[in-house]
Amino acid sequence: MENISFRTTVLPLGDKLYRLALRITLNRAEAEDVVQDTLLKVWEHRNEWEQINNLEAFAIATCRNRALDVLKRAGRKTAPLDVVDNRQQTADNGQQSLEAREQLSLVRRLMDGLPEVQRAIMLMRDIEGQTYQEIAQVLDISETQVKVYLHRARTKVKKGLEIKD
Amino acid sequence: MDYKYIEQLLERYWECQTTLEEEAILRTFFRQEDVPASLLPYRQLFIEEDEMADEHLPEGFADRMLRLVDEKTSPLEGGSEEGYVCKARRMTVIHRLRPFYRAAGLIAIMLTIGNAAYQSFIDEDSEATPVAESVVDDSLQHITIGSPEQQSAKLDIQPADTLDAFTR
Repeated sequence: MENISFRTTVLPLGDKLYRLALRITLNRAEAEDVVQDTLLKVWEHRNEWEQINNLEAFAIATCRNRALDVLKRAGRKTAPLDVVDNRQQTADNGQQSLEAREQLSLVRRLMDGLPEVQRAIMLMRDIEGQTYQEIAQVLDISETQVKVYLHRARTKVKKGLEIKD
Repeated sequence: MDYKYIEQLLERYWECQTTLEEEAILRTFFRQEDVPASLLPYRQLFIEEDEMADEHLPEGFADRMLRLVDEKTSPLEGGSEEGYVCKARRMTVIHRLRPFYRAAGLIAIMLTIGNAAYQSFIDEDSEATPVAESVVDDSLQHITIGSPEQQSAKLDIQPADTLDAFTR
Protein backbone atom coordinates (compact mmCIF):
# COMPACT_ATOMS: atom_id res chain seq x y z
CA MET A 1 0.00 0.00 0.00
CA GLU A 2 1.40 3.37 -1.02
CA ASN A 3 0.12 6.75 0.11
CA ILE A 4 -0.20 9.22 -2.74
CA SER A 5 -0.60 12.87 -1.93
CA PHE A 6 -0.28 15.93 -4.11
CA ARG A 7 2.54 17.37 -2.04
CA THR A 8 4.72 14.26 -1.79
CA THR A 9 3.99 12.44 -5.05
CA VAL A 10 2.65 14.80 -7.68
CA LEU A 11 4.40 18.11 -7.00
CA PRO A 12 7.94 16.60 -7.12
CA LEU A 13 7.27 15.65 -10.75
CA GLY A 14 7.23 19.37 -11.58
CA ASP A 15 10.86 19.73 -12.67
CA LYS A 16 10.74 16.66 -14.90
CA LEU A 17 7.54 17.95 -16.52
CA TYR A 18 9.08 21.39 -16.89
CA ARG A 19 12.09 20.03 -18.79
CA LEU A 20 9.81 18.14 -21.15
CA ALA A 21 7.54 21.14 -21.70
CA LEU A 22 10.57 23.35 -22.24
CA ARG A 23 12.03 21.05 -24.89
CA ILE A 24 8.70 21.10 -26.72
CA THR A 25 7.68 24.75 -26.42
CA LEU A 26 11.25 26.09 -26.16
CA ASN A 27 9.83 28.90 -24.06
CA ARG A 28 10.23 29.10 -20.30
CA ALA A 29 7.05 31.01 -19.49
CA GLU A 30 4.94 28.70 -21.64
CA ALA A 31 6.62 25.63 -20.19
CA GLU A 32 5.79 26.85 -16.68
CA ASP A 33 2.15 27.38 -17.63
CA VAL A 34 2.04 23.91 -19.16
CA VAL A 35 3.36 22.36 -15.92
CA GLN A 36 0.82 24.31 -13.87
CA ASP A 37 -2.05 23.12 -16.10
CA THR A 38 -0.75 19.58 -15.99
CA LEU A 39 -0.46 19.45 -12.21
CA LEU A 40 -3.93 20.94 -11.81
CA LYS A 41 -5.32 18.33 -14.18
CA VAL A 42 -3.66 15.55 -12.18
CA TRP A 43 -5.21 17.03 -9.03
CA GLU A 44 -8.64 17.16 -10.67
CA HIS A 45 -8.30 13.41 -11.30
CA ARG A 46 -7.49 12.69 -7.63
CA ASN A 47 -10.45 10.38 -7.24
CA GLU A 48 -8.97 8.15 -9.95
CA TRP A 49 -5.40 7.99 -8.63
CA GLU A 50 -5.99 4.53 -7.29
CA GLN A 51 -7.10 3.28 -10.69
CA ILE A 52 -4.34 5.00 -12.67
CA ASN A 53 -1.61 2.42 -13.22
CA ASN A 54 1.30 4.80 -13.35
CA LEU A 55 0.63 8.33 -12.14
CA GLU A 56 3.99 9.63 -13.40
CA ALA A 57 3.38 8.28 -16.91
CA PHE A 58 -0.08 9.87 -16.82
CA ALA A 59 1.37 13.23 -15.80
CA ILE A 60 4.11 13.12 -18.45
CA ALA A 61 1.65 12.18 -21.20
CA THR A 62 -0.70 15.00 -20.09
CA CYS A 63 2.18 17.49 -20.02
CA ARG A 64 3.33 16.51 -23.51
CA ASN A 65 -0.18 16.88 -24.92
CA ARG A 66 -0.62 20.29 -23.27
CA ALA A 67 2.73 21.50 -24.61
CA LEU A 68 1.85 20.32 -28.11
CA ASP A 69 -1.49 22.14 -27.81
CA VAL A 70 0.37 25.34 -26.93
CA LEU A 71 2.52 24.98 -30.05
CA LYS A 72 -0.50 24.24 -32.18
CA ARG A 73 -2.44 27.21 -30.85
CA ALA A 74 0.52 29.48 -31.49
CA GLY A 75 0.90 27.90 -34.94
CA ARG A 76 4.65 27.55 -34.64
CA LYS A 77 7.32 24.91 -34.65
CA THR A 78 10.52 26.89 -34.19
CA ALA A 79 12.36 28.13 -31.12
CA PRO A 80 11.40 31.55 -29.80
CA LEU A 81 14.22 33.84 -28.82
CA ASP A 82 14.08 33.61 -25.05
CA VAL A 83 15.63 30.16 -24.78
CA VAL A 84 18.35 31.01 -27.27
CA ASP A 85 19.18 34.19 -25.35
CA ASN A 86 19.24 32.27 -22.13
CA ARG A 87 21.70 29.78 -23.61
CA GLN A 88 24.06 32.56 -24.57
CA GLN A 89 23.88 33.91 -21.03
CA THR A 90 24.63 30.48 -19.60
CA ALA A 91 27.63 30.16 -21.89
CA ASP A 92 28.90 33.61 -20.92
CA ASN A 93 28.44 32.98 -17.24
CA GLY A 94 30.31 29.72 -17.54
CA GLN A 95 33.28 31.58 -19.05
CA GLN A 96 33.52 29.13 -21.86
CA SER A 97 35.47 29.73 -25.03
CA LEU A 98 33.82 31.03 -28.18
CA GLU A 99 34.23 27.62 -29.76
CA ALA A 100 32.56 25.87 -26.83
CA ARG A 101 29.74 28.41 -26.94
CA GLU A 102 29.24 27.79 -30.66
CA GLN A 103 29.15 24.07 -30.11
CA LEU A 104 26.85 24.52 -27.13
CA SER A 105 24.40 26.21 -29.42
CA LEU A 106 24.97 23.54 -32.04
CA VAL A 107 24.01 20.66 -29.71
CA ARG A 108 20.81 22.42 -28.67
CA ARG A 109 20.08 23.42 -32.23
CA LEU A 110 20.51 19.83 -33.34
CA MET A 111 18.26 18.54 -30.58
CA ASP A 112 15.65 21.25 -30.99
CA GLY A 113 15.63 20.62 -34.74
CA LEU A 114 14.55 17.00 -34.26
CA PRO A 115 10.92 16.00 -34.88
CA GLU A 116 8.99 16.42 -31.63
CA VAL A 117 8.59 12.72 -30.85
CA GLN A 118 12.32 12.05 -31.36
CA ARG A 119 13.19 15.06 -29.20
CA ALA A 120 10.83 13.93 -26.44
CA ILE A 121 12.25 10.40 -26.50
CA MET A 122 15.84 11.64 -26.43
CA LEU A 123 14.97 13.85 -23.46
CA MET A 124 13.21 11.08 -21.56
CA ARG A 125 16.06 8.63 -22.14
CA ASP A 126 19.21 10.74 -22.06
CA ILE A 127 18.21 13.47 -19.63
CA GLU A 128 15.60 11.85 -17.40
CA GLY A 129 17.14 8.35 -17.54
CA GLN A 130 13.86 6.57 -18.19
CA THR A 131 13.68 2.98 -19.39
CA TYR A 132 12.40 2.07 -22.85
CA GLN A 133 9.38 0.51 -21.18
CA GLU A 134 8.50 3.73 -19.32
CA ILE A 135 8.88 5.83 -22.47
CA ALA A 136 6.73 3.39 -24.44
CA GLN A 137 4.03 3.65 -21.78
CA VAL A 138 4.01 7.46 -21.86
CA LEU A 139 3.87 7.66 -25.65
CA ASP A 140 1.59 4.64 -26.03
CA ILE A 141 3.87 3.00 -28.58
CA SER A 142 5.96 -0.19 -28.54
CA GLU A 143 9.46 -0.39 -27.08
CA THR A 144 10.75 -1.26 -30.55
CA GLN A 145 9.28 1.95 -31.92
CA VAL A 146 10.89 3.90 -29.09
CA LYS A 147 14.28 2.46 -30.05
CA VAL A 148 13.71 3.23 -33.73
CA TYR A 149 12.89 6.90 -32.98
CA LEU A 150 15.79 7.20 -30.55
CA HIS A 151 18.19 5.68 -33.06
CA ARG A 152 17.10 8.21 -35.67
CA ALA A 153 17.49 11.06 -33.21
CA ARG A 154 20.95 10.02 -32.03
CA THR A 155 22.13 9.40 -35.59
CA LYS A 156 21.07 12.90 -36.66
CA VAL A 157 22.79 14.49 -33.66
CA LYS A 158 25.94 12.42 -34.26
CA LYS A 159 26.10 13.41 -37.93
CA GLY A 160 25.54 17.05 -37.02
CA LEU A 161 28.39 16.97 -34.51
CA GLU A 162 30.74 15.23 -36.97
CA ILE A 163 29.98 17.72 -39.76
CA LYS A 164 30.76 20.61 -37.42
CA ASP A 165 33.99 18.96 -36.46
CA MET B 1 45.48 5.23 -22.25
CA ASP B 2 43.25 2.72 -24.00
CA TYR B 3 39.85 4.11 -24.92
CA LYS B 4 38.67 1.00 -26.74
CA TYR B 5 36.01 0.26 -24.13
CA ILE B 6 34.61 3.80 -24.31
CA GLU B 7 34.68 3.71 -28.11
CA GLN B 8 32.79 0.42 -28.13
CA LEU B 9 30.32 1.77 -25.59
CA LEU B 10 29.80 4.90 -27.67
CA GLU B 11 29.23 2.83 -30.79
CA ARG B 12 26.60 0.84 -28.93
CA TYR B 13 25.09 4.08 -27.60
CA TRP B 14 24.47 5.36 -31.14
CA GLU B 15 22.85 2.01 -31.97
CA CYS B 16 20.62 2.23 -28.85
CA GLN B 17 22.11 -0.96 -27.43
CA THR B 18 23.47 0.46 -24.19
CA THR B 19 21.82 0.07 -20.80
CA LEU B 20 21.13 3.07 -18.56
CA GLU B 21 24.13 2.07 -16.46
CA GLU B 22 26.43 2.03 -19.51
CA GLU B 23 25.08 5.41 -20.57
CA ALA B 24 25.92 6.72 -17.11
CA ILE B 25 29.52 5.46 -17.60
CA LEU B 26 29.73 7.41 -20.87
CA ARG B 27 28.36 10.52 -19.18
CA THR B 28 30.93 10.24 -16.39
CA PHE B 29 33.73 9.74 -18.92
CA PHE B 30 32.79 12.80 -20.96
CA ARG B 31 32.58 14.99 -17.86
CA GLN B 32 36.36 14.88 -17.53
CA GLU B 33 38.52 17.36 -19.38
CA ASP B 34 41.00 14.84 -20.72
CA VAL B 35 39.15 13.37 -23.70
CA PRO B 36 41.02 12.05 -26.78
CA ALA B 37 40.65 14.03 -29.99
CA SER B 38 38.74 11.23 -31.72
CA LEU B 39 35.98 11.43 -29.08
CA LEU B 40 36.01 15.19 -28.60
CA PRO B 41 33.19 15.96 -31.09
CA TYR B 42 30.74 14.02 -28.92
CA ARG B 43 31.78 15.48 -25.57
CA GLN B 44 29.58 18.52 -25.82
CA LEU B 45 26.46 16.39 -26.31
CA PHE B 46 26.90 14.73 -22.92
CA ILE B 47 27.89 17.99 -21.24
CA GLU B 48 24.82 19.74 -22.58
CA GLU B 49 22.54 16.91 -21.61
CA ASP B 50 23.88 17.23 -18.08
CA GLU B 51 23.03 20.93 -18.17
CA MET B 52 19.56 20.27 -19.51
CA ALA B 53 19.00 17.83 -16.65
CA ASP B 54 19.74 20.69 -14.30
CA GLU B 55 16.88 22.91 -15.51
CA HIS B 56 14.38 23.63 -12.72
CA LEU B 57 11.11 25.42 -12.23
CA PRO B 58 11.52 28.92 -10.86
CA GLU B 59 11.49 29.43 -7.12
CA GLY B 60 8.08 29.93 -5.63
CA PHE B 61 6.37 27.69 -8.17
CA ALA B 62 5.64 24.95 -5.63
CA ASP B 63 4.02 27.40 -3.17
CA ARG B 64 1.93 28.97 -5.93
CA MET B 65 0.86 25.53 -7.04
CA LEU B 66 -0.18 24.48 -3.53
CA ARG B 67 -2.27 27.65 -3.16
CA LEU B 68 -3.97 27.00 -6.50
CA VAL B 69 -4.74 23.43 -5.53
CA ASP B 70 -6.16 24.52 -2.19
CA GLU B 71 -8.43 26.97 -4.02
CA LYS B 72 -9.71 24.13 -6.17
CA THR B 73 -10.35 21.84 -3.23
CA SER B 74 -13.88 21.69 -1.92
CA PRO B 75 -14.63 22.45 1.76
CA LEU B 76 -15.93 18.86 2.01
CA GLU B 77 -12.38 17.65 1.48
CA GLY B 78 -11.12 19.99 4.17
CA GLY B 79 -10.46 22.82 1.71
CA SER B 80 -6.81 21.81 1.47
CA GLU B 81 -4.74 19.30 -0.49
CA GLU B 82 -3.07 18.16 2.73
CA GLY B 83 -6.11 16.21 3.78
CA TYR B 84 -6.28 14.25 0.57
CA VAL B 85 -4.20 11.10 0.67
CA CYS B 86 -4.95 8.26 -1.70
CA LYS B 87 -4.00 4.79 -0.54
CA ALA B 88 -2.93 3.14 -3.76
CA ARG B 89 -1.70 -0.39 -4.05
CA ARG B 90 1.40 -0.84 -6.16
CA MET B 91 0.54 -3.41 -8.80
CA THR B 92 3.25 -5.86 -9.71
CA VAL B 93 3.05 -8.23 -12.68
CA ILE B 94 2.11 -11.03 -10.29
CA HIS B 95 -0.76 -8.93 -8.91
CA ARG B 96 -1.94 -8.10 -12.40
CA LEU B 97 -1.94 -11.76 -13.45
CA ARG B 98 -3.74 -12.93 -10.30
CA PRO B 99 -7.21 -13.06 -11.96
CA PHE B 100 -5.72 -15.29 -14.68
CA TYR B 101 -4.26 -17.63 -12.07
CA ARG B 102 -7.67 -17.87 -10.46
CA ALA B 103 -9.37 -18.52 -13.79
CA ALA B 104 -6.75 -21.16 -14.67
CA GLY B 105 -7.24 -22.82 -11.26
CA LEU B 106 -11.01 -22.83 -11.71
CA ILE B 107 -10.69 -24.37 -15.17
CA ALA B 108 -8.30 -27.02 -13.82
CA ILE B 109 -10.80 -27.92 -11.04
CA MET B 110 -13.67 -28.07 -13.52
CA LEU B 111 -11.66 -30.26 -15.87
CA THR B 112 -10.74 -32.61 -13.01
CA ILE B 113 -14.35 -32.91 -11.85
CA GLY B 114 -15.56 -33.33 -15.45
CA ASN B 115 -12.94 -35.98 -16.12
CA ALA B 116 -13.83 -37.86 -12.91
CA ALA B 117 -17.53 -37.72 -13.80
CA TYR B 118 -16.84 -38.93 -17.31
CA GLN B 119 -14.63 -41.72 -15.98
CA SER B 120 -17.32 -42.91 -13.58
CA PHE B 121 -19.86 -42.78 -16.40
CA ILE B 122 -17.59 -44.95 -18.57
CA ASP B 123 -17.14 -47.39 -15.67
CA GLU B 124 -20.89 -47.64 -15.18
CA ASP B 125 -21.28 -48.26 -18.87
CA SER B 126 -18.76 -51.12 -18.87
CA GLU B 127 -20.46 -52.66 -15.82
CA ALA B 128 -23.80 -52.47 -17.67
CA THR B 129 -22.52 -54.61 -20.60
CA PRO B 130 -22.66 -58.05 -18.83
CA VAL B 131 -26.21 -57.21 -17.77
CA ALA B 132 -27.09 -56.66 -21.38
CA GLU B 133 -25.52 -59.98 -22.30
CA SER B 134 -27.54 -61.76 -19.63
CA VAL B 135 -30.64 -60.09 -20.98
CA VAL B 136 -29.77 -61.45 -24.40
CA ASP B 137 -29.28 -64.89 -22.96
CA ASP B 138 -32.58 -64.66 -21.10
CA SER B 139 -34.42 -63.52 -24.15
CA LEU B 140 -32.93 -66.40 -26.13
CA GLN B 141 -33.99 -68.78 -23.45
CA HIS B 142 -37.50 -67.41 -23.71
CA ILE B 143 -37.40 -67.92 -27.44
CA THR B 144 -36.01 -71.45 -27.19
CA ILE B 145 -38.69 -72.60 -24.77
CA GLY B 146 -41.12 -72.87 -27.68
CA SER B 147 -40.14 -76.08 -29.59
CA PRO B 148 -37.82 -79.08 -29.02
CA GLU B 149 -36.00 -78.27 -32.25
CA GLN B 150 -35.41 -74.83 -31.02
CA GLN B 151 -34.25 -76.24 -27.66
CA SER B 152 -31.72 -78.45 -29.39
CA ALA B 153 -30.70 -75.55 -31.57
CA LYS B 154 -30.08 -73.52 -28.39
CA LEU B 155 -27.47 -76.01 -27.28
CA ASP B 156 -25.50 -75.44 -30.48
CA ILE B 157 -25.57 -71.69 -30.22
CA GLN B 158 -22.57 -70.15 -28.49
CA PRO B 159 -23.04 -66.89 -26.47
CA ALA B 160 -20.93 -64.94 -28.94
CA ASP B 161 -23.02 -66.12 -31.83
CA THR B 162 -26.24 -65.29 -29.98
CA LEU B 163 -25.15 -61.76 -29.39
CA ASP B 164 -24.17 -61.49 -33.01
CA ALA B 165 -27.50 -62.84 -34.11
CA PHE B 166 -29.34 -60.54 -31.73
CA THR B 167 -27.61 -57.45 -32.98
CA ARG B 168 -28.31 -58.51 -36.56
